[in-house]
Amino acid sequence: MPQESGHASSQRRIAIMVGAGHVPGINAVIMGAAKAAGMLGWEMVGIRDGFDGLLYPERYRDGGLLTLSPELVESLDPTAAGLLGQAPRVDPFHVRRVNEDDMVEEVDMSDELLKRLQSEDIDAVISVVGGRGLSILYKLHRKGLNAVCVPRSIENEIASTMVSFGFNSALSFTIELLGRVREAARAARKIAVVEVLGEQAGWLALQAGIAVGADAVLIPEIPCDLRAVASGLQDKVTGRRPYGLVVVAEGATFTEAPKAEAKPLSLKASLSPLATGEASEHVIRRSGYAAEKVAHELQLLIAHEIFPLVMGPWVRGGAPTAVDRQLGMAYGAGAVRAVKAGSYGSMVAFVPPDVKFVPLAQAINKVRTVPADSEFMKIARSLGIFLGREL
Amino acid sequence: MRTQPVNPSAPTGVVLNIQRYCSHDGPGIRTNVFLKGCSLRCKWCGNPESIAFKPELSYDPGRCTGKQACGLCLKAPFPDGAFYVVEGATDDKVHVNWDLAGDCDEAQASLCPTGALEMFGKRMTVDEVLEEVEKDESFYRSTGGGLTLSGGECLLQPDFSAALLEGAHERGINTAIETACNVPWKFVEKVLPHVDTVLHDHKLTIPERHKKWTGVSNERILANFKKAYEMFPDIDFVTRTPLIPGVNADEEHIRAVLAFIRPHKNVIDYELLPYHRFGLGKYLSLGVVYELDDYKTPSDDLVKHLQSIIDEAFGRNSSTTQSQK
Repeated sequence: MPQESGHASSQRRIAIMVGAGHVPGINAVIMGAAKAAGMLGWEMVGIRDGFDGLLYPERYRDGGLLTLSPELVESLDPTAAGLLGQAPRVDPFHVRRVNEDDMVEEVDMSDELLKRLQSEDIDAVISVVGGRGLSILYKLHRKGLNAVCVPRSIENEIASTMVSFGFNSALSFTIELLGRVREAARAARKIAVVEVLGEQAGWLALQAGIAVGADAVLIPEIPCDLRAVASGLQDKVTGRRPYGLVVVAEGATFTEAPKAEAKPLSLKASLSPLATGEASEHVIRRSGYAAEKVAHELQLLIAHEIFPLVMGPWVRGGAPTAVDRQLGMAYGAGAVRAVKAGSYGSMVAFVPPDVKFVPLAQAINKVRTVPADSEFMKIARSLGIFLGREL
Repeated sequence: MRTQPVNPSAPTGVVLNIQRYCSHDGPGIRTNVFLKGCSLRCKWCGNPESIAFKPELSYDPGRCTGKQACGLCLKAPFPDGAFYVVEGATDDKVHVNWDLAGDCDEAQASLCPTGALEMFGKRMTVDEVLEEVEKDESFYRSTGGGLTLSGGECLLQPDFSAALLEGAHERGINTAIETACNVPWKFVEKVLPHVDTVLHDHKLTIPERHKKWTGVSNERILANFKKAYEMFPDIDFVTRTPLIPGVNADEEHIRAVLAFIRPHKNVIDYELLPYHRFGLGKYLSLGVVYELDDYKTPSDDLVKHLQSIIDEAFGRNSSTTQSQK
């Protein structure tokens, strides 16, 4: 943990912002940070819509900054999101705009951002961001921003923390939906192949698959042999149990050589630390690709009827779970502690039993994948859940 | 190729690529010179490497030999954190953090011994470009071909483009440009006096929809086209539409474009360019997200149907056109 040398606690003004990408109950993080700052006698302001509130104050009636007064925080609903809003892109180094000649261009507004913070007497910024946001905040920190990040992710792939804010809520909702799908498959006497979020890491698929008693779970960490899965399903799906459930993470990989027509259709993976190229097994396909592929190829091998479903972004909405509400408050308060300690350029991390601050350099360029010797892998195997090729 | 400008006062430009033996962008066999920089952000863009004006880093993982065999980009002078190896991965290939590597320059890219890191685009003089273009002069003479400036948006470098095209004319080489025309009129009028054929995009008709798909309205573009048709009657104009199902691949758009161009006799043709996904690999090597993820290519039947509407408007036999294409 970095040294806690930092500022004195008197009369500071700090800000909090939320990066692109929605997760349930962001207000909990904002509340945690604002309450902790209030306890120190600091003023906390929220930046609207990512950094837009600072870069385009003229667009907002309140000048783009919302003072998180004790009264406002007291009345805030911790199960809601959207107090500060979000921007679709949060990268002040490449801000897309239409110039005075009506031409589209990307401009570096990072200097302007730092100047605006200075003119607003804001001396530190807490950012609730995902994996890519960490890199951008790291770059801003190297440029002089006193930044502390809170990890926020649906698939829990951010390294150096055991859990990111939002994952538990997504997991809970995924389990609920998978339970319903399982019932529907049982009633229809079919095999459901359900794609869940998880481009780079299989935590969501694996943990939800265990919870609902899936027959197979296919995750990016274990290249999947669909012939072996088909063989296993044929043993499990019988006349007495004429249905099945296969959970597939959207970034699942496969052992066979890709067919010409099955080339990657999406290049979102260009931003993925695991992607190395078009031929890479880690290239991420468009939403729905994994479910379609698995259902189609299993159908060629199995007589039982199979249907694909895509859970997609539904799990990003709704209310946060009790775990996330607690974690959000803890992360918010932890981020203020990091600011107080002067631990800038860091990310708040849950390393049981502690909340710690890890340097951003240790959190970026890594993916928290499911280790081969993970306890969850062992649990799945002991429950008879097929993990791709280990039958 | 010379590295020093012959005429130091001549304008220089940022060139993405010079492609010889082209046959689809103007009459005859041509050399296409792609300039960098674009003023639109079409979601279907097939040339993402041409959008930024500056030369920019690209990465070809197929050429990377990995950390153990090389690993040069994992240390200074490369930016801290810009390149890395994934812990626990099955290979030791280098990965790129595009948010941190975007500022790498040509000097840094040139340190990569295998060429996995390269720059898209380089600054060139008019003479350097024309020296390349002149290599195929005999083909131009025998086929009626010549030089085509493309992009990006070639009109965003008006001085360089005008000098290139003027130089080509001085050498007796036919000239064409490919443009979307989203530039101030002063750029257009600087370049067009040196052009024989203008291939210009007509992407969407309704201004709001044009803004949604390309980033800006098309009002200035249409005004530029109209003014160009009228002020440059000796230029051959060829209208083009990149056909994307769900965006503009419908009769309404085609008929609206025909209504716009047919009153002008110097608009000699209207071509359809069925959307393809050939540009996707380039997005990966630039670390850019492709925004038109789930769109399909138009069916042959749809293209034929829309082409028949165009042929009818131009008084042509549809089956003849199809067999020529």
